[in-house]
Amino acid sequence: MLKYARNKMTNVVIKDAGTLAVHGVLDDDIYSLEIDVTIQLSGFKILSLSGKWHRYTTPDCPRAIPLLQDVIGFRIDDEGFNQAVHKIIGRKACRHYANLLIECCDSAKEAVLIHKWKNARKRHPDLRFADFINGEKSESALSRVSASIRVEEERRPDERISTPKEAGSDVPGTKPSSGFTIDLHVHTYPASPCSSATEDDLIQEAKRIGLDAICLTDHNFVWDPERIRALQGKHRFLILRGNEITTDQGDILVFGLDEDIKGIISIESLRQKVMAASGFMIAAHPFRGFLTFDAAHLGMTPQKAMQKALFKQVDALEALNGKVTPKENQFAHQVAEGLNLPATGGSDAHEVFEVGQYATRFSKQIQNEAELVEALKSDNYEAIAYRKENGFD
Amino acid sequence: MPDLTTFTRNRCTSVEQIDDQTLRSSCRLQDTLTDAVVEVQVKLPDLEIMHAAGEFRRTYRGACLNTSEALQKVIGVRIGSGMLKIIEGLLAEVTECEELAFMVEECCHAVILSFTKGTLKDIPESPRDKKEFYAKMLKENTRLYNRCAAFAPGSSIIGDMPPPK
Repeated sequence: MLKYARNKMTNVVIKDAGTLAVHGVLDDDIYSLEIDVTIQLSGFKILSLSGKWHRYTTPDCPRAIPLLQDVIGFRIDDEGFNQAVHKIIGRKACRHYANLLIECCDSAKEAVLIHKWKNARKRHPDLRFADFINGEKSESALSRVSASIRVEEERRPDERISTPKEAGSDVPGTKPSSGFTIDLHVHTYPASPCSSATEDDLIQEAKRIGLDAICLTDHNFVWDPERIRALQGKHRFLILRGNEITTDQGDILVFGLDEDIKGIISIESLRQKVMAASGFMIAAHPFRGFLTFDAAHLGMTPQKAMQKALFKQVDALEALNGKVTPKENQFAHQVAEGLNLPATGGSDAHEVFEVGQYATRFSKQIQNEAELVEALKSDNYEAIAYRKENGFD
Repeated sequence: MPDLTTFTRNRCTSVEQIDDQTLRSSCRLQDTLTDAVVEVQVKLPDLEIMHAAGEFRRTYRGACLNTSEALQKVIGVRIGSGMLKIIEGLLAEVTECEELAFMVEECCHAVILSFTKGTLKDIPESPRDKKEFYAKMLKENTRLYNRCAAFAPGSSIIGDMPPPK
């Protein structure tokens, strides 16, 4: 017997010389919805979008409908279109509408190819679809090259990859006697496009709540040590560099490795690189799960989780993370204890007010990245709920 | 002239439990230009992809003709938060067939939704009990806050509740 089924259907009609009309239906065991989109044929712009629910789960699902208007005017052939739909429609309105809209717009692009081929056949009746497509591909490849050149030119100079160099040795901590507390997991914009917080705002907030330091751990991003030094001088605050690297086994917080790793790396390859650099690896939010159910629903137990191959490749587990549920943090703590691995804390802040929610308290003062790695290897630290402990909750 | 369609697509994704420890999720795509199927098998309880296979029976995209080898890259990936970046990244290394990654993602989403369906079966009938049910769900899973229109500030579920700490 089927446990779940989803059917999606799209139809594209060329209404007139300038407009495509796309009708999409999504019907599954949980939801039933449909949308109608009109798209400008020449500029690929979304001209109108309407949606209708037939079945949904919460009394507030209909609130998604007016928010669909936020993508009017978007070009469906833009490189970041799907991401924008996930972010704008998926996060603000409803991810099922986002899924259906992407399906409709993909169908529209396929329909345009057919439309262009039919037009070309008026001039060349023997033109085969495959030959027409090969010609189109050459053109789009050229436009992709132009687009990537534009993106490269628009990157800020300080987003470029740095050479390895120690940073932060001239900025001492301030509270060695009561332990030394660092938020080991922080994301800044634009280094992490998913973050909304600039480094200046995050640092100011970290200082305000009395943290001793923060680690900038942007996704697959190596901070320029000179930039870090400048930030430290400007704010008189210890800023350390880390990196949250996406592997085939999930996200890993890495310290002490300056190599810029792009794409998805296997956990084994990353381990080799980090060991060669004498760095440190932490499994970030190792049990970050789902929206409406948790690991227990799947029959996952700490004993079963301890057998995961991932945990043989890391030095510690992030057992307090600000983006997971208390149950998931508790589960990570149990697994770390069972494996006799150290547990760290980090806010995973993407917004200014999140910094310091969780942190790691070390027993002694840390002044630079080399000392951070040494301290992490010492296992003389604890994960703490910093904001709650210090009345900033 | 009547409004005849230029393009039509049907995509069906389904999940079945083939034994106590294994789910099979399949995505079938049939449209004016493409006919394809992708299937993944997932091991419980950690939702790890143990097997992946697929075939593009009809496509104009040359890159999509041989996908079996590329699909092996997703074996070992765990279905869950952050999986899209991993699946797209792994497959982009070995194939330019973007539809393949999308079909794998649809299979994975379907697995998650099959468990969501189980959770939603517990929703009570009366509006008052329903509201309490969602409030409890939100308390247990703070990630739901502002995740969509239904869980955004101002909705009947969230009201003027501040962001969870």
